[in-house]
Amino acid sequence: MSFWSVEQLENARVGLRSIQAHKLRSSLTMLGVIFGVAAVVAMLAIAGGAQREAVEQIRLLGTNNLRVNQRALSGKAREAAEQKGSQGLTLADAELIQASLPGLAGIAPVRFVDAPVLLRGRESAARVVATNADYARVTDFHAGQGRFLSDLDVADAKRVAVIGAGIVQELFGYQNPMGRRIRIGDDSYTVVGVMEAKQVREGRASVIRLRDINRDLYVPITTAAARFPLARAEGAIDEMAIQVTLADRVAPVAAIASRLIRRAHHDVDDFEVVVPAELLAQAQSTQRVFNIVMGSIAAISLLVGGIGIMNVMLTSVTERTREIGIRRAVGAPRRAILAQFLIETVLISASGGLVGIVVGFAMARGINLFAGWETALSPLATAGAFGVSALVGILFGIYPARRAARMDPIGALRFE
Amino acid sequence: MDALIRLEEVYRSYPMGRTELHALRGVSLSVERGEYVAVIGPSGSGKSTLMHIAGCLDRPSSGRCRIDGTWVEDLPDEELSRLRNRKMGFVFQSFFLISQLSVQENVEVPLVYAGVDREQRSELAREVLGRVGLGARLGHRPNELSGGECQRVAIARALVTRPDLLLADEPTGNLDRRTGEEITGILEELHAEGVTVVVVTHDVTKARRAQRVIQMQDGRIERELRGTELEELVDALEAAARRR
Repeated sequence: MSFWSVEQLENARVGLRSIQAHKLRSSLTMLGVIFGVAAVVAMLAIAGGAQREAVEQIRLLGTNNLRVNQRALSGKAREAAEQKGSQGLTLADAELIQASLPGLAGIAPVRFVDAPVLLRGRESAARVVATNADYARVTDFHAGQGRFLSDLDVADAKRVAVIGAGIVQELFGYQNPMGRRIRIGDDSYTVVGVMEAKQVREGRASVIRLRDINRDLYVPITTAAARFPLARAEGAIDEMAIQVTLADRVAPVAAIASRLIRRAHHDVDDFEVVVPAELLAQAQSTQRVFNIVMGSIAAISLLVGGIGIMNVMLTSVTERTREIGIRRAVGAPRRAILAQFLIETVLISASGGLVGIVVGFAMARGINLFAGWETALSPLATAGAFGVSALVGILFGIYPARRAARMDPIGALRFE
Repeated sequence: MDALIRLEEVYRSYPMGRTELHALRGVSLSVERGEYVAVIGPSGSGKSTLMHIAGCLDRPSSGRCRIDGTWVEDLPDEELSRLRNRKMGFVFQSFFLISQLSVQENVEVPLVYAGVDREQRSELAREVLGRVGLGARLGHRPNELSGGECQRVAIARALVTRPDLLLADEPTGNLDRRTGEEITGILEELHAEGVTVVVVTHDVTKARRAQRVIQMQDGRIERELRGTELEELVDALEAAARRR
């Protein structure tokens, strides 16, 4: 074992013992660092969660995609919309965009149909999604067995259904669902395909509703329009996903689509166009304020915590002047004394850091539970927070440690 | 062969408020390997300062100091510390044990700075504690020991690095007569084994055992005595002490 490690191991042992000997003092000293690191961890967790969610949304959207959502209007805005004669988002809008904008890779109108799915009298929790054949390509979500809806299904408004992987077992047990019939509302539909299973996390309510798409059941949009007419308008839809061929065309297409729909809706803002890049920017801007607040709390806590540690260490150095003198007399160089006190300070602050990480984790969980914000803590962020606590120890430990190291052996031994 | 300790015209003064305290005023001295030297003198005569300088705990204000062939007055702290660690053992009047550490750990402290690993430290410390008769007290804290036992621990700590030179500053000053005798006995044994011993004392009976006595007065060496001269001085001082 090298000289360095023997000495530092012993320093760590002595430091730990000194912390143990003054449990209350040490834990009170750690408080500042605990809160500081907890704030850092919570902040990073929330920032990480928001980032992950934004990325997830973009992934769901696809970078080449944009989405047009029906926007629910209330009160005066709704009256105004009715006066102006807007029917909201409809199939006609989708057709308009398709006709006006050549070079789209696909456009998939989507309507969530509020109808029960029944099999032999049992009702399933499946959600009925009405769309067209483009949906599979636009969302990159394909049939794992059989086929997805075809253009022909849509054109003929066939009563066919493609079911999500998550409801196959619920509906059919271990039997092959292909070609079997299920009831949606009052009609029966033939199962022509089963979707592949897809990993989806439950997320916070946001621009795009994250839902378990494995529990969706797809029917042609035309069939839904005919069988489940809506009062709002003929061919009313909830959203449409548009795919362009190149990512850099997303923005101009979004602008043109927005203008086209607005004109069709007689200048009524009853829809919104969602673009992935904008989503990210939006997520980041709401994050920024929060980060500033948490960052300030963390910085102040760490500063106060660091000063507290320094204060305690200065006291400790004075208390242990004799010990310093003894160690110097028996051969400890200044460097060894410096290392001893520095290690002890870092031990205190790093222990505070560890506790702080746990507390921060708990805070993040709490925020996640009560505010419903998504949180995610990467190992790197955790390591970073721990590093910050150790850094506080070094920063605020240097002065007391230097003071200890500067004592001359005789003066320290004579100290009363 | 070079002397183990050689001081040449050593001065040491400390600032004391506005004035300076001249603790040593030109001391020249040699201690050969294997000698047993006693430094006596009234308090304030500079004998402790002399020991501190000879022990590299302090530096002379002027003059030169050579330890085992190395001029030490300008050595950097790291080297000086190493010298203390490797070549010297200290025993102080008030023991100077670290109260948070056990007996064994106290003895191990110098070995930590010598870079000895834990197992070997433990072995060496047990061995030397056995020698001073404390083999059964390894786990005790200093505050659980008597004064004599504490001083034995301090001696064990001084010996554990197998130093060439043992410097003792009033080692029996805080002990009763009988315990003091025991400690002196240990020092003598060590001397018999070849360790160079320098004892600072005002206890004349301790001085009698030395081969050479250096009497200090006002920061200077007043006289050096050996053999019959030494016997006579000690007798005279003892007689004076008895009269008092």
